[in-house]
Amino acid sequence: MARRTAKKGAVQTSSPKKRPVPVDIYEIPDDDDVPVRKRTRTSLRKIEVVEEEEEQDEEKEQHTRNGAKTNLRGGESEPIPKPKRRGRQPREVLSEAPNGKVSTPTSARQKKTATQTPSKNRLNGVDTPSRRNMADRSARRKSARALIDRVVEGALSDDDEGDGIAREIYESSEDEDEEPQQQEEPESADEEAEVAPTPSKRRGRPPGSGKRQQQQKRSPTPPADLPAYERYFYQNKPGRAKTSNNTLSSLDLLTHDEYFSVLRQTQDHHAQNIRFLESLHAESFPQWYFELSQGFTVCLYGYGSKRRLMHQFATYISTKQKQPSQSQKIVIINGFIRTLTIREILSTVSSAVDPTQKLPSSNPQVMIQHLIRLLNSQPPETSISLFINSIDAPPLRKPATQSILSQLSSHPKVKTVVSTDTSDFPLLWDSGLRSSFNFTFHDCTTFFPLAGTATAPGGGEIDVVDEVHELLGRMARRAGGKDGVSFVLRSLPENAKSLFKLLVTEVLVAMDDDDGSADAQGAAVEYRMMYNKAVEEFICSSEMAFRTLLKEFHDHQIIESSKDSLGTELLALPFRKDELESILEDLMA
Amino acid sequence: MAQVDDELVFQEDDHRGAYIFTAPGAENDEVSAAPSSSRPAKRRRVSSAAATTASPSKRQREQTQKKKDSAASNSAAQNGTSIVQENDNATGSFVPLFNGAESKEAVLLRKETFEAAWDGCLDERIQRVLREANQNTLDEVGSFIEHAGELENSSRGGGRKIPAAFIITGPNIASQDLLFEQLAESLSETAQARVVRLRAAGAPNLKAALKKIIRDAAAGGVKEEEETEGDGAEVSVGGDGRKYLDYDLEGLHAFLKTKDSRRVIVAFEDSEAFDNGLLTDLIALFHSWQNRIHFSLLFGIATSVELFQARLLKATAQQLYGAQFDVVQADSVLESVFKSAVAGTQATVRLGPSLLRSLLERQRDQVAGIHVFISSLKYAYMCHFYANPLSICLAENKEKNIVEKNILQPQHLQALRTLPSFRSHVEIAVEEDRQFAHAQLLIQEDSYLRKTTYSQRKERRRYVLKLLRCLHLLTSSGLLKGSFPDVYVNALENGIALSNNHCFSQVIDTIKRLTAEKVLSLARSLTRAIKTGSAELDLPGWESQDEGLLSQFTYTIEQVSTLLRQAAKSGNPLKSKYTAQSKVLRTTVVAQKVQLSRDSATLTEQDKKFTTVVDSLIDTLGAFIWLQPIKDIFLNEVWVYNSRKPYREVFVPRPGMVIDRALGRPHDYLGCECCAPVRAQKKGDAVVMGSMPATAILYHLYMEAGSLVNVADLWAAYFALVGDEEGEREGEGEGGCLDERTALVHFYRGLAELKVLGFVKASKRKADHVAKLKWV
Repeated sequence: MARRTAKKGAVQTSSPKKRPVPVDIYEIPDDDDVPVRKRTRTSLRKIEVVEEEEEQDEEKEQHTRNGAKTNLRGGESEPIPKPKRRGRQPREVLSEAPNGKVSTPTSARQKKTATQTPSKNRLNGVDTPSRRNMADRSARRKSARALIDRVVEGALSDDDEGDGIAREIYESSEDEDEEPQQQEEPESADEEAEVAPTPSKRRGRPPGSGKRQQQQKRSPTPPADLPAYERYFYQNKPGRAKTSNNTLSSLDLLTHDEYFSVLRQTQDHHAQNIRFLESLHAESFPQWYFELSQGFTVCLYGYGSKRRLMHQFATYISTKQKQPSQSQKIVIINGFIRTLTIREILSTVSSAVDPTQKLPSSNPQVMIQHLIRLLNSQPPETSISLFINSIDAPPLRKPATQSILSQLSSHPKVKTVVSTDTSDFPLLWDSGLRSSFNFTFHDCTTFFPLAGTATAPGGGEIDVVDEVHELLGRMARRAGGKDGVSFVLRSLPENAKSLFKLLVTEVLVAMDDDDGSADAQGAAVEYRMMYNKAVEEFICSSEMAFRTLLKEFHDHQIIESSKDSLGTELLALPFRKDELESILEDLMA
Repeated sequence: MAQVDDELVFQEDDHRGAYIFTAPGAENDEVSAAPSSSRPAKRRRVSSAAATTASPSKRQREQTQKKKDSAASNSAAQNGTSIVQENDNATGSFVPLFNGAESKEAVLLRKETFEAAWDGCLDERIQRVLREANQNTLDEVGSFIEHAGELENSSRGGGRKIPAAFIITGPNIASQDLLFEQLAESLSETAQARVVRLRAAGAPNLKAALKKIIRDAAAGGVKEEEETEGDGAEVSVGGDGRKYLDYDLEGLHAFLKTKDSRRVIVAFEDSEAFDNGLLTDLIALFHSWQNRIHFSLLFGIATSVELFQARLLKATAQQLYGAQFDVVQADSVLESVFKSAVAGTQATVRLGPSLLRSLLERQRDQVAGIHVFISSLKYAYMCHFYANPLSICLAENKEKNIVEKNILQPQHLQALRTLPSFRSHVEIAVEEDRQFAHAQLLIQEDSYLRKTTYSQRKERRRYVLKLLRCLHLLTSSGLLKGSFPDVYVNALENGIALSNNHCFSQVIDTIKRLTAEKVLSLARSLTRAIKTGSAELDLPGWESQDEGLLSQFTYTIEQVSTLLRQAAKSGNPLKSKYTAQSKVLRTTVVAQKVQLSRDSATLTEQDKKFTTVVDSLIDTLGAFIWLQPIKDIFLNEVWVYNSRKPYREVFVPRPGMVIDRALGRPHDYLGCECCAPVRAQKKGDAVVMGSMPATAILYHLYMEAGSLVNVADLWAAYFALVGDEEGEREGEGEGGCLDERTALVHFYRGLAELKVLGFVKASKRKADHVAKLKWV
């Protein structure tokens, strides 16, 4: 949007002719303009108009609270300059029309804000974005033109205020754009000072300075009483999300060591309550057992880790089954383990059924068929209790996996207990799967931390530090940042080292190139180009060898590859710029 | 508690994806000794109710109180439930109620009664009904396939088409399983073919599909041979000892050569889910093999054959020779299951009207499938026998046992006396019927109450019979519109009466408006209904018991047919005063004024006679068809289960609400002093407190944030809530304030949990930002 307007301004000579058209399209009937033009014609009209003006004045007064902008209009609606100018400058025939309009669009914009705001208030702050944007855009286009005209003509003093408004409009809508354009006129330094303490990386003007902040009265928090779906639309309005530019750079992030040492010292003051809550759930064991025995699958949901509860339940079942013989086994599956595969589950179950039989470790579909055949051939008193912790965890989320699990659990000899963590787990199953699972759901909110307790800090479902760092886009898994990289590289051949050096250099260059973008992480280099460079540098001689080298990096997750919309393969490094720089230093040393 | 042990175990097993659990030995007896409880109905309430109280002891008391309250609403009065666990195999998972005071015999009896009521009776019936429902389709498909087979035999040669049966199964894939299972059974018998069932999930590509087809088709005969193949073998051995790739139809061909039948039926259960290309490839391949292996195809179609055909290439479609078959619609299946399992005389427990209504609604509103209905039904039975100690009175053949052994304990009697129907019965006895002695005896004399309870069992049977007879009469004669389940639920809730101002009053109007011929056929069908009863409802005919009613019908038939004959002779159509009224309107013009007068004087003798016949029919019917609502029956709680809460909680979970509540108001669950909402605040107001779990605090902040959350700001806000301004103290300072590093640890934990719960994901739009995923 911004770019388009700017271009239009550049092709200045052709634009004046076309200008009236777009202006008319978006121009909102302007009450203030009407009197100027029509006052002389009909007296009746005049009275109406006067009334209207009075109304508007009231409105204006209402909005003076919102900022000084309405005050600006004081001298603006004077029609006097227009005729003057028109008469005075004969060489301006071409630009006459735009010049004459300078005040018109501005006033239109002014009018707009004045008339629209009350309606906004009425609607409890929810206005349709499209309409507003459209109006804003038109106003903005006009104001951009006005600014450009002024620059071309040389500054005219007589509607300074109009110009101020035009600029204000121009800037305000720029703020809502995805890609900020550079400002035509540099901003004064004192406005910068008002911005959040950490200056952004963008070269352009940071958002939210002086006047503009005043103009945007919308607060980021929506009205409290909005239903969830309205809030979704409210918060996902097109335009840049209005968050501050603060980063965690000043904060020293936790390492694993520090996390565990601090955690060991803390104690949860809710431990007692959590234990009590758990004992309440434990009272339901006989009931769940009954449900299991009737062919239902018990599904526990709610906030908190249900693993300990499941463990207790498993213990309960094993004591219930009088003789825990070969034929009655309990298999526990931890869905949150990232490396868990359906093969592992199936082979564990089959070894529980009959340790002597070995499942063919091919395709899971084949495995489940064999397993079911194996179960059918067992004596009828055989039973397997399957405890699946976090069935909605990523390793088990795939539909194919779920359908295999459902086949397994619908077998009469298999009793299944599952637990879920997320709140939209029902989406995992369609009606067919759900009826073959035959679920009974139970609210088991345990409040037991998923992240492990102080006494067993590593015993949780999740690796807290890794999860958070992954969330923040910091180098998350295994390698452990740049130290990990150098560790990995030490064990690799010289070729690999030089390839990685090359990669880091190229990515750094790419980062410098698109410095403007906030996410420096996104910088990636083309695979093809990398290959060519690697060949030039005699790092490798064939694409095969190149791939092999990259594979090594992939295995240690110190490189990421992706495809862009055109299908070009891209290579990226999951590090921040400063990290990359220090890695490069290490490599050079 | 076994906390420490547990955690040790966790340390070992934590990082294993799947392992075989071994009970940690004898010390875990304490788990089974831990308070265990009883009833499906109340469990949930306890755990959430626990949150509303402050101290554990108080909470215990409240629990008991809650139970008392809910007992009244459910079905029986049971007080608290802490139970002495008995490792008794016989009682299985049934636990003694009445705080564990229930005798072992009673528990056993409940269990046996449940097993007799469900496993022994209803389960079979339902399965039979479901199987019978598909019988028609099975027969048709079977004959089509057979016929197609004959056609094939008669016209040998290339270019033959593949017979394909399109079975319109409707959108509910859950119920297809049984249908295809039956099809496979019956077809492998009738057509002597090998049936392979394919699902889209099990056959993602051509190779996998072929492998499955070949394996399953060959599995019938040479199971052992296949098994010895071992894993990963890409070959299968044909009869002649040659080896084939396991996706090569040649192998199947070689295998089939040794058998007498070369027919293979491939069933695509969810044909919509298959990839177009895959289907086309498969059909083309089958077609090219058709002269060696006789393929027939079955397609389960959820939408329509036209849509299915549109997905195939024309050339492919031309290779098929198809016929369309319809499956019995879900509604009628539901109705027959309902009749046999809910309404039928075999159903031991009556489900109450409100529960039934919500079950039926769920069937209609959501495509839940008949299996969900059956599961819910079973769950209702389970709840009733598991949680209601009075359900022992339903034991059928142990009747004498109960009386002789005096199995009803004092607690049972006490429970009986708290039932709402007991109260209202006594109140009515005192206030209206003036039976003071009866009322007094009921309240004071245990033996009298026992006797009454037993005699009430007959009352139950009588009521059910009457109910079913009435409904059978009304529905089989076509007097009532609407589906049977609706009528049944209505009858349970409001009773049945043919008087005015009742939901069944339309019946009278219907009868009155009938013409003579219709009356005749009505009386005949009513007679038939009485004589034959209803097989679906398992209701035998009751000719001998209601002779009065029957003779009235016979009288009606005689009378009306005589009258009709006379009317035919005289040439006047026979009409009653009800039918006549609406027809005759006399218009007279007197002195240029139009006079309208209703004419009822023209009723002939015969018409009048007919009118009296109709009237007496209505009277008799009205006298017979009368029933009080089920909730007015004395001690109905013993045999009626009408609690919707357990059903809804167990089958329609609301995880979003639960998690929102847990994180929004953790006090509800934890019941701790530190997070208790300040008294002045309104209930339901979410307030953030520093003492809450970190995840809950972050959840509050998260809810306030926009679609993109700045983690730095989130951290600042979090630290402002829990942190210690000076940052001087180590660890946990006074008033629960935390120093920066500890707070950061908690912050990390909370954020990681939010991620696992699916609330946030990483975002690349801005540095140190996360994207919001839920708008709750």
